[in-house]
Amino acid sequence: MIAANVMSTGAHTLTKEKTMLDAFKLISEKKVRQIPVVDAGNIVQGVITPRKLMKAILPRYIAEGMIEDVKFAPELPEFVENIDQLAYKSVEQVLDTEFVSVSPETSTMEIAALFVNAKKPIESILVVDHNKRLLGIISPWDVFKRLWEYAEKKN
Amino acid sequence: METNLIIALVVFVAVYALLIWDKINRAVVALIGASALVILGVLNQEAAIHGIDFNTIGLLIAMMAIVNICQKTGMFQFMAIKAAKAVGGDPWRILVALSVVTAVLSALLDNVTTVLLTVPITFLITDELKLNPYPYLVAQVFASNIGGTATLIGDPPNIMIGSAVGLAFMDFVYNVGVIVPAILIGTLIPMYFIYGKKLKVSDELKQRIMAFNEKDALQDRVLLKKCLVVLAITIGGFLMQKPLHLEAATIGLFGAAILMLITKEDLHQVMEKAEWTSIFFFLGLFVIVHSLVEVGLIKTFAMKTLELTGGDMKVTGMTILWVSAIASAFIDNIPFVATMIPLIKDMAPGLGGPEAIQSLWWALSLGACLGGNGTLIGASANVVVAGMAHKNGHEMSFVKFTLLAFPLMLISIVISTIYMYFRYFS
Repeated sequence: MIAANVMSTGAHTLTKEKTMLDAFKLISEKKVRQIPVVDAGNIVQGVITPRKLMKAILPRYIAEGMIEDVKFAPELPEFVENIDQLAYKSVEQVLDTEFVSVSPETSTMEIAALFVNAKKPIESILVVDHNKRLLGIISPWDVFKRLWEYAEKKN
Repeated sequence: METNLIIALVVFVAVYALLIWDKINRAVVALIGASALVILGVLNQEAAIHGIDFNTIGLLIAMMAIVNICQKTGMFQFMAIKAAKAVGGDPWRILVALSVVTAVLSALLDNVTTVLLTVPITFLITDELKLNPYPYLVAQVFASNIGGTATLIGDPPNIMIGSAVGLAFMDFVYNVGVIVPAILIGTLIPMYFIYGKKLKVSDELKQRIMAFNEKDALQDRVLLKKCLVVLAITIGGFLMQKPLHLEAATIGLFGAAILMLITKEDLHQVMEKAEWTSIFFFLGLFVIVHSLVEVGLIKTFAMKTLELTGGDMKVTGMTILWVSAIASAFIDNIPFVATMIPLIKDMAPGLGGPEAIQSLWWALSLGACLGGNGTLIGASANVVVAGMAHKNGHEMSFVKFTLLAFPLMLISIVISTIYMYFRYFS
C-alpha cells in the first residue's frame, strides 16, 4: 500500500490572496481538517490549521509556552476581539509553511510513522509530486479506512 | 616563565575579546581558552583543575536543580499574582509589588530564572489592564539585579566572592543585603515620576486583576509541600552556615538531593534543564583566571593598583565600587569578578591582611551586581527580558533602555557609595 492508494483527492484548497473570512466559510460549510494553500499552478504554499489560527489569536507569551497553564487568569476580552481582526487578514499572513508532505509512492507504514513520531502534532499529510503540486491529502483515519478495506477484500 | 606569561595574557585578552564580540557561545570560548592554556603548557591539567572553584559550581547546580523542581508547583506565579491583587489592582502599585516579588525571588534564586517565571505574569497583567508593559519590564530587570545583590546565592558574582573568600550567607545579608531595600526604593522613586504618575486605569480594569485566582496557579499541592519543606531546610542551612561550618555548596546539594529523593522527580529531566552553558563557562573561566595567577600577572597588577591608590582603604574601596559598576554595565560581570577576586586577594598584604579588606569584597559585590543594570547587555536578566519583550511585540532598544537605566544605575552606586563611606570608611 502506498500514499497514492490511501489519499483523498479533490481537497478544498485556498489561494494566498483570499482572506481569512473565506477560510472561515470553508471551515464552517465543509468538513476540513486543514486547508492546503496553493498558487495558480496548484503548487502548495502552506496550510491553514486550527492550531495555527489559535496561535494567531492567543497572546504570544501563552502561544510560545512562556505560561502553559492559564486557568488562574480571567479571560482576556482581546481574545474574543482578536478573532474579528483575524477575519480581515489574508490567508498568506497566517499560513503555516511547515507542513508535512510525502510523495505518492510513500509506503503507508512510513505515513503511519510520520503521524505517530511527528515533533508537533500533524492534522493531516499532503501528497505532492516532485514539483510540490498537490495530488491529495491523507488524514489519520484515511490510513485506517484504506487498510481496513484492503483487509476486508482479502478475506 | 616569560613565555608562559605572554601566552596567558594573550589567551586572556582573546577570550575577553570573544566574549565582548558575543558571536560564539561563551562556554565554548571559555573552554577553548582553558584547554589552549593546558595544551600550550602554561598549566598542566592538574593545576588547571586546582583553579576551579567547585564550591561555586556545586552551589550553582544545586540551586538550578531545586528551582527546576519547585517551579513546577506554580508557586512563583502564585506569589506574583497574590502581590498584584494585594495592592488592589492599581497599576503603579502593581509595578511596585511585582518589583518587590522579583527582588525577593532574585535574592533566593538565579536572576534569569526569576524573570523567566515572573515576566509572563507581567504580560498577562498589563494585557488585562490594557497597559504598555515596558515600564514594568524595566522595573523588573532592575529589581532582579538589585534583589540578586542581597544574598550569597542571589547573583553569580556573590557566589564567587563568597566561595573564594569564605564569606557566608549571613555575611552578605548583613553587609550588602541591608542596603538593598534602600537601593530598590531609590530606583523606584525616579520611575514613579517618569512612568508611575501616568499609569491610570478604570476601576473596571482593576477588577480584572482582582478576578485572577492565584490558587489555581498552584498545580501540585503535594509537590508544593515537599518543595516548601526542602526550601525551608536549605535556606535555614544557609542562615546557619557559619555555626554549622559548612560550605554553601554542601548545603545546596544536600537540599537538592533531599528534594530529588522525596519528590521522585525524573532526574534526567531535572538535570537536563540545568544551564550547562553557564556551568561550563564557569569551569573554563576559572582555569583561565588561575593561569593569570600562576604566571604572576595578577600579583603585578595588584601591586600597580596599590601604588595608584596609595594603599588607602577608602580610595581602594571606592575605586573598586565604581570601576566594577561601570565595567559590569558593558561586559559580563562574571569574568570581571573572576579576575578581580585574585587581584583583591593579592592586594590584601599591602592593606593589612585578609581580615582588614573585607569591605573591598562588599564594594566588588555592589559594583558588579548593580552595574549590570547600566545597559541592556549589562546582565543576563536584561537580555532575557528584552528577548521576551521582542517576542511579544514590544521592543526594548539598547539606546532607549540605557538612557533610563544608566542614570538609575548611577543612583544605586551613589547610594552604595554613601552607605560604604559611613559604614566602613569613616
